[in-house]
Amino acid sequence: MTAMIEAHALVRSFGSTRAVDDLDLQVEAGEIFGLLGPNGAGKTTTIRILATLLAPSGGTARVCGFDVMTHPQEIRRRIGYVMQKISPTRNLLTGRQCIEMEASLYHVPRREVRARAEELLELVGLLPHADRQFNQYSGGMQKRLDLACGLLHRPQLLILDEPSLGLDVQSRHKVWDYIHDLRRQGVTILLATNYLDEADRLCDRLTIIDRGRVVVTGTPSDLKRAVGADVIQVTTAEPAPLAAAIAGQTWLQRHAVSEAGELHAHVTDAAAALPALMGIAAARSIPLETVTYTRPTLDDVFLLHTGRELREEEVTA
Amino acid sequence: MTEQAIARETPATRESTTAAISDWAQEVAALAKRWFIELGRERLNLVFSVAQPAIWLIFFGSGIGRAVDRQVIGTSDYTGFTLPGIVAFTVVGGGVAAAMPLMWDKEGGYLDKLMSMPISRSSIIVSRFVYQFVLASFQVAALVVVALLAGVSFELGPFAVVIILVTAGLLSLAVTASFSALAYWVPGHGTFFAITGFITLPLVFMSNAFVPVDALPRWMEIVARLNPLTYAIEAMRLPIIKGWDGDILVALGVLGAFSLACLAVGAQQFNRQTADRVQ
Ligand SMILES: Nc1ncnc2c1ncn2[C@@H]1O[C@H](COP(=O)(O)OP(=O)(O)OP(=O)(O)O)[C@@H](O)[C@H]1O
Ligand SMILES: [Mg+2]
Repeated sequence: MTAMIEAHALVRSFGSTRAVDDLDLQVEAGEIFGLLGPNGAGKTTTIRILATLLAPSGGTARVCGFDVMTHPQEIRRRIGYVMQKISPTRNLLTGRQCIEMEASLYHVPRREVRARAEELLELVGLLPHADRQFNQYSGGMQKRLDLACGLLHRPQLLILDEPSLGLDVQSRHKVWDYIHDLRRQGVTILLATNYLDEADRLCDRLTIIDRGRVVVTGTPSDLKRAVGADVIQVTTAEPAPLAAAIAGQTWLQRHAVSEAGELHAHVTDAAAALPALMGIAAARSIPLETVTYTRPTLDDVFLLHTGRELREEEVTA
Repeated sequence: MTEQAIARETPATRESTTAAISDWAQEVAALAKRWFIELGRERLNLVFSVAQPAIWLIFFGSGIGRAVDRQVIGTSDYTGFTLPGIVAFTVVGGGVAAAMPLMWDKEGGYLDKLMSMPISRSSIIVSRFVYQFVLASFQVAALVVVALLAGVSFELGPFAVVIILVTAGLLSLAVTASFSALAYWVPGHGTFFAITGFITLPLVFMSNAFVPVDALPRWMEIVARLNPLTYAIEAMRLPIIKGWDGDILVALGVLGAFSLACLAVGAQQFNRQTADRVQ
């Protein structure tokens, strides 16, 4: 595997704010890599450096094998960049005019511009709306048009800053599908997000960043596994006998009965433990009222490593 | 990130130079198409832009012309004398308008998208110039028609109109590039409008637009001789009121050099957008 992005000790300061602070990043070819962090964590700043829009104050970054400082033009030819913000200044153009313009700016051969634009409008479901003006598009349609524009020159690396910001659930799932399809075609994807479910469902690997620094890097499941066990909560009239009955089972890490009389069983894998637990209850005729379980989320991962919730507001430096 | 980096990447062989020029032409055409589409959606903008200078000419020529001393301006035809001044005034105003969309793109964020693309640092400015030059040609055409109706005789005939167009083109490149540089440089549009509002009128009045240089007070004469507008106006005025003169080429040469310098500054300011601006 070759690295598509390699950043070492990357720093970017704005006055006294260190938006990116000694960041290391390694993204391999062919993976979907996530940057997850709260507002102001430095995701967009990192992405702007990698997209050759901002010079780092320190450290080095190579994208598609080229240094961002010395060969920006080579990088620009190879990456697609979809910004977090949707710019309103194309309001008077139709969707088709927007995308055909960008196709020409990416030097798609003149004869292929029209066909390529249609192919991508089709991909994001905008072909029926191709000749409507940009300012008549809904926010989600504008976002999908921007996504299509990022694919015009068949980039090796697609950089997506908050690709599903402001999308409804349906559009979001569609965007996730395109991203999976692209990966299947060999495109590497770097995406910034502050949606936990997006990072979890979409990314092969991710880096959680906070205040410009790397908190932890890994696959979503490894990161969650490191937090610890799934918890099964059982309400029953007879918690004590049930507790006694499951004690010593191999799938059980520990258990406790709460003051409210709920049995909390910490298990390695709830999906495997649930049938076993219910089987034991049935065999001893212990009636169960409710059985629920919770798995650790990336929020718990963030909590474990920073002592704060991911959902906390804007970091003040 | 910077000129050297880009220079190092510039392909050396003849073949890739041709490819680079073709890419550049494609970029400029695509961007210019955007400006013309937008103009097409705002046709009233076109009507007013073309009518306005013609109205100025009527106003200056027949209104103020009567109060002008023929001895001072060296011709009895003030409309013909002031036509180049109106062209210059119009082109300077057009330069401010040319830079505005670049500023909206910068403030709206689309400039970032453009800069993330493998495009030449000059193509955006040049596309605005192409658009502005086409608009200026319509304005010049309307001015010439009005001038002819007002009885102005062009000493060099149709060739005078060609020289006026060439001059308007060079001047348009200079002002489009410098106001674009300004648009990239300012922190926000408030500063842009404050500065352009401050300099455009003095720029026109501190030139030979309405009065010959020799007739200006001494200090204004010095300023006027340093003002690129003076050379543009000189190059347009001689073919109208005098006929062929070697000074036309001198004036065009000065103006051409100035325009290229402005383009270089504009492209460099575009580049600086990716550098360490915000500290
Ligand atoms: N141009 C700038 N000038 C000054 N400070 C900036 C600039 N851009 C970003 N910052 C600061 O850098 C920090 C990181 O911002 P950044 O936009 O990278 O965060 P983010 O992780 O993308 O956040 P979000 O989830 O809200 O998009 C913030 O504190 C922000 O205020
Ligand atoms: Mg961001």
